[in-house]
Amino acid sequence: MKEVRVPWLRPVAALMISAFFLVPLYMILVNVFKQGEKITQEPAALPVPPTLDNLTGLLTRSDNLFWASLANSVVVTTLSVIVLTVLSAMLGHYLARSRSRWARVAMLLLLSGLMIPPQVILMPITQVLRAFGLMTTLQGLVLFNVGYYIPFGVFVFTGFLRGIPIELEEAAAIDGASRSRVFWRVVFPLLRPATASVLIFLGVWIWNDFIDPLVILGPSQGTTITTGIYRSIGQYQADFGTVFALMFMATLPVLIFYLFLQKQFVKGLTGGATKG
Amino acid sequence: MAVNVKSTPVRTSATHRSRRSRSRSAERIRSFTLFGAPGLLVYACFVLAPIAISFGYSLTDHNPFNPPTEFVGLRNYRMLFTDEEFLTSLRVTTILTVIVVVVPNVAGLGIAVLLDRRGWFYNAMRTVFFTPMVLSSVVVSIVWTRMLDDEGLVNQALRAIGVDRPPGWLSDPGLALYSIASILSWQMLGFCVVVYLAGLQGVPRELTEAAEIDGAGPIRRFRSVTWPLLAPALTINTVVLLISAFKIFDHIQVITHGGPGTGTTATIAYNVLQTGLVANRQGYASAMAIVMLLIIAVAAAVTLRVLNRREVNL
Amino acid sequence: MKHKALLTALTATVVLSACSVGQGDIQQSGDATAKKEITFLVFETPNLTPQVWDAAIKRVTDKYPGISVKKLVSPSEDRVSYAKQLLASGQFPDVMIAVSPAGFAESGAMAPFTPDELKDFAFPNNGAVKGKVYQLPTNTQTIPVVYYNKELFAKAGIDAPPKTYAELLDASAKLKAKGITPFVVGGGKDPFASTLAWTATLATDLYARTPDWMAKRRAGTVTFQDPDFVKATNKFADLAKNGYIDKKDISRDYAATEQAFLDGKGAMYPMGNWFAAAGDDAKRKPKWEIGAFNWPSDDGAPVVPAFTGGGISVSATAKNLPEAKKFALAYTLDKANLDNSVHNDGLYPAIKGYTPPSDTGAVFKLGYDLYQQGVRNDSVVQAFGWEAGDDGMPPGLVDKWRAAAQDLITGGRTVEQVTASLDDEWAKAS
Repeated sequence: MKEVRVPWLRPVAALMISAFFLVPLYMILVNVFKQGEKITQEPAALPVPPTLDNLTGLLTRSDNLFWASLANSVVVTTLSVIVLTVLSAMLGHYLARSRSRWARVAMLLLLSGLMIPPQVILMPITQVLRAFGLMTTLQGLVLFNVGYYIPFGVFVFTGFLRGIPIELEEAAAIDGASRSRVFWRVVFPLLRPATASVLIFLGVWIWNDFIDPLVILGPSQGTTITTGIYRSIGQYQADFGTVFALMFMATLPVLIFYLFLQKQFVKGLTGGATKG
Repeated sequence: MAVNVKSTPVRTSATHRSRRSRSRSAERIRSFTLFGAPGLLVYACFVLAPIAISFGYSLTDHNPFNPPTEFVGLRNYRMLFTDEEFLTSLRVTTILTVIVVVVPNVAGLGIAVLLDRRGWFYNAMRTVFFTPMVLSSVVVSIVWTRMLDDEGLVNQALRAIGVDRPPGWLSDPGLALYSIASILSWQMLGFCVVVYLAGLQGVPRELTEAAEIDGAGPIRRFRSVTWPLLAPALTINTVVLLISAFKIFDHIQVITHGGPGTGTTATIAYNVLQTGLVANRQGYASAMAIVMLLIIAVAAAVTLRVLNRREVNL
Repeated sequence: MKHKALLTALTATVVLSACSVGQGDIQQSGDATAKKEITFLVFETPNLTPQVWDAAIKRVTDKYPGISVKKLVSPSEDRVSYAKQLLASGQFPDVMIAVSPAGFAESGAMAPFTPDELKDFAFPNNGAVKGKVYQLPTNTQTIPVVYYNKELFAKAGIDAPPKTYAELLDASAKLKAKGITPFVVGGGKDPFASTLAWTATLATDLYARTPDWMAKRRAGTVTFQDPDFVKATNKFADLAKNGYIDKKDISRDYAATEQAFLDGKGAMYPMGNWFAAAGDDAKRKPKWEIGAFNWPSDDGAPVVPAFTGGGISVSATAKNLPEAKKFALAYTLDKANLDNSVHNDGLYPAIKGYTPPSDTGAVFKLGYDLYQQGVRNDSVVQAFGWEAGDDGMPPGLVDKWRAAAQDLITGGRTVEQVTASLDDEWAKAS
């Protein structure tokens, strides 16, 4: 085989492509630790000497923007993905195991909803939220997230469920277990990899969403971190050091989250099917 | 069901059948209320209902700053078909969607084949490629604007190697759309790599080895053994890319504001917002949104059908 | 087990932060019951930092202890769209600054100011909508002043700023011959930065001849295809055609554009006089000297395009409307706030009897002197694309006009196409 002849070719090619790919990430990273004035002049140079001013300036803002919005983001994202995982696993299971036509229609309806840019229906959404008295509340934002992102959870779970033999459930049902019991005791544990992908994906999307929290939480309720960043760009547009620090800090939590779950995540997406 | 089983004593065979089907339909309703209904209900409230409201507005000349609102029937829809700006945004969205669905899929597969080895080095590479996916679109847009404008890193590099007048990546009306498509492809590529890698690592060794023994070359092996097994990976990639492509809004807002010039990078989503929020013509903007939804529904249906067929044929 | 630990950690964080969020709410509502609370929508820029806003608000609340102010921050400098979103979602702020009242006023969302409330303003009727003023006409801005780089001018052998349009073209040609980009423009996410030279030619060739042109356009007695508008547009388009405006610059956002001029990447920078804030900033000031002149007309007669407005508006549905208005006026007329707007944003307060502090920077003085000359010889006209209320274009049209400016710079559309489409868009928007 070719590889045996040139064993170094593959890693070198991989390195070269990824180096090219990494340039923008490198830009963020070096500029976080560079003095503001130097960033425009030499954007790609290494930060010598490195400075922590950009980060400390951000973390010690007098209005506590960073920490307050970090807390909000954590609450919103965590609550949303937990509810989403439960509801979409159940709905996904229901649709995957149903043979009726309506299940397919529901699936299609759900999927097209997933591709709608939320901005396009944001104003009617606020009307619905107001009708329920949920406007400007964290609960309202969480519920909206659940409604808007549930199709994706359903999509991943049904895909994964197709690779799990139905006989397992039937056997449990014959033993006299109720459907809920079968689901939570037998099926849900098997869905772990799919759950990881749903958590990661929706976690990232909800974390990075800025337009919905902006409008649904409203201006007086504090903000999420991504919205907070978007908001402070105005102030820091001439101070790139802080902008880069903001971007870095907003990304760090999701990146760590991904690294935690990445092994499971990958299995969940391509799921049972590839195994077979 | 445990309760059901207990409370249903054995009957004579005549009534047995109808009883069973009744309890079955009761069971069906129960499992729907328990499993199907909660999710669908939230979805209906926060996606379907707003769409219905939008549709209502699309039949009016609603302008919150210019009351009263009057019913105009399908006038808004008729206007759309001669609205140059809308047709342009349709074109822009189509081009973006095609590029963003095809390029990361193809390039991602190539890189995945390259990285399909075990060991820390390849694991690290995988993480590197995935990182852009977790960045927020605002962050990506800001960094790339800094890289691509005329004093940016890319043109600095081009000048350094002697290109006298490097292209205006974001300022040339013919080029800006493709620059944005490249930025999006960059952001989505890693995701495809990761998913294809998972697919590749799920291909049983025995199969490829058997094909090799049968004398199939590497390309042949890939085409007839590996590629069919990657069908689920292709499905997931295509769906996720489609979702992302149709939603593109933030990048346009932060990088070009629909420009340079009139509408050269304005997607439908961007156009809907400009018309509704800036020009206050919310009735008309709602009609655009509804047309967009129809296009999306068709795209989703076609994609699912094609991809499902591929998977079933395995 | 790793997952259990992660889950526990997450739950703990959620509970903790939920507590802290809750606590914050309680404190705030406790405050609000004692005082009359108003919400105040502001926006942040490099000059208008959170500290600046907080200090300015505090000066007013110290004077009126019965009022408490909750500051809301617009997510971007596009506070008008944000105010619309807030209005549509039932969260319209009580008081807001620099939100153009177009639309808000007609639909009754904003409360008009009475002549008595406007008695301290130098141009009390500026930006009126159907005869009533909904936004305190607080500052005047000259848009644009042409700032120039004296070092680059000298390098190209130009010893005095151009006095006529022919001299301006001559200077541009000399600069270009030396490989210097004559005009610095911008664009990207801030399309207004592409338009300033067009505002300038429209001032000298349209507004100087027909000061009420926009009113006539509203009445339908003139169109964008009239000779004066076409002439001004041709002048602008030719600047790009001759390479005096580099079409590559239109992907550069506003902040980068300002920096480009300060970095000497072009010789002339037509921009609103708020540029003074950057030009006088000790940290950003360039080593070379900045000069300034008014965009010259064909015959050299002075024309100063300016806009007065930009102040505070009050919601008609504010819970505490009297307090909201009291706050609006007190905030606007506070001497320290006015001085700050001079220092931080390079604005000219349009308040009767107000004179800017003596310690203003050199760049500010350049623009201010040019404006004062304009006032003295009565050559102040509207700044096209910046007018408000009855003097302005219908909502949404400004964005089309800005996009059209980029079309002209890139050559994507001809002058005929642009002017015809502006008439089209006007018909659609009104």
